[in-house]
Amino acid sequence: MLLAAVDYYRPDTLDEALEALVSTEGARPLAGGQSLVSILKLRAASVELLVDISRLEDLRTIEVADDGAVRIGAGVTYDEMATSPDLHQSYASLSNIAAHTVDAQVRNRGTFGGNLCHNDPINNFPPVAVALDAVMHVTSKNGDRDIAAGDFFTGYFANALSPDELLTGVTLPALDGRSIGYQEVEIGEAAARAVAVVATSNGNIESANVALGCLPIPMRAPGVEAALAGAPTTAEAVAEATASAADGIEPLTDADASADYRLAMASVVAKRAVMEAIEGGHHG
Amino acid sequence: MANAPGPVQDIEFTLNGDPVSRTASSRQLLVHFLRDDLGLRGPKIGCDTGHCGACTVNYNGKVIKSCMTLAVQADGAEIETVESLAGESGELDDLQESFRENHALQCGYCTSGVLMSSKFLLERNPKPTAEEIREGIQGNICRCTGYVNIVKAISAAAHGDKGLDLIERMNREHSQEVRG
Repeated sequence: MLLAAVDYYRPDTLDEALEALVSTEGARPLAGGQSLVSILKLRAASVELLVDISRLEDLRTIEVADDGAVRIGAGVTYDEMATSPDLHQSYASLSNIAAHTVDAQVRNRGTFGGNLCHNDPINNFPPVAVALDAVMHVTSKNGDRDIAAGDFFTGYFANALSPDELLTGVTLPALDGRSIGYQEVEIGEAAARAVAVVATSNGNIESANVALGCLPIPMRAPGVEAALAGAPTTAEAVAEATASAADGIEPLTDADASADYRLAMASVVAKRAVMEAIEGGHHG
Repeated sequence: MANAPGPVQDIEFTLNGDPVSRTASSRQLLVHFLRDDLGLRGPKIGCDTGHCGACTVNYNGKVIKSCMTLAVQADGAEIETVESLAGESGELDDLQESFRENHALQCGYCTSGVLMSSKFLLERNPKPTAEEIREGIQGNICRCTGYVNIVKAISAAAHGDKGLDLIERMNREHSQEVRG
């Protein structure tokens, strides 16, 4: 397929990239292109200038702080997440999730930041960021700002960035002994997905964050989280606490699954994700 | 500004070990550039949506789908296509030979992509299990043979004759699982 006419610019520095975004109407950052090139093929977006940020070193690091928090650059690929010894040490489950994202070719190009910004309901990292209370670091010619993951995703393929802003990285808080469960029902691309971040102590759940994906906006399930807090770590208790996971979510009907099916699967993936976290976390 | 925006760009990159210096349209996909401008017909266009993997090439040491990458993004990169595998006088490399020995292709349309993914897999993981082989070629779709002979061929290239035993054992275990 032939793309509509578009200009391309590969800046050498972050500053040059930000300048291009602010000075050209219809400029849009291009990272791995594993979603954006599809959109351009479909001519579903009108883009005048692609600003290729994929080689900007500022966006390509994974840093683990002394307290265990991790900052992942927006331009880090899934494959780099999967093969980073630092990430594997501090956030093994995330590394395992990255290692099984789509296929080898997509993992070698697709970026963490692109996956989040694109916010396609089938993307796997938006609910992970929301479950972890990640902090999204954003910059523009006007300065830097941080956005809580819970405020970053604003709708179907939409995020809180203005056209001149760039996501530079994401900080995931220290896990402090918590484990991550990640469960999905794969039909077509993905039909339902849940991410749980759980702390346990002596056979009880101390705290649980539960986020549901495959939605226009990945959502936390506060009712489920409240029911899980203090509950025993048994399959029965978890099933009971996650039974209401579909409350308040509004999934879409698409080629992969109907909204009704997704509503029915919400409690299934939520229960599995919490159990997986209780049993030590996602292994891939 | 050397990188000034423009509808065409001068690009330089290494293709199968040789330097290439050309002009590419900014909207041109890498697969079209390789096939139409440079005459390399190894990378195929199957789905043109990033799903089938027939256009797989190696980009800076890692496989990518060349239908999901712009030609201008090749600037400065090292790119290898399936044409890099055989020797100068056309002798097949071990992996290609194993594909032939094990009848790992029928129509051959997916083969150049599968070979590139298999080579990348074996560079990272020289002795993969059958399961790891299946995961390694997950991004390549074959619509003729199924994958049994492809997995066999990769396993045989990696493990020699033992590779075929590995696959037969896995297939036996799998059919026992299915039968319960």
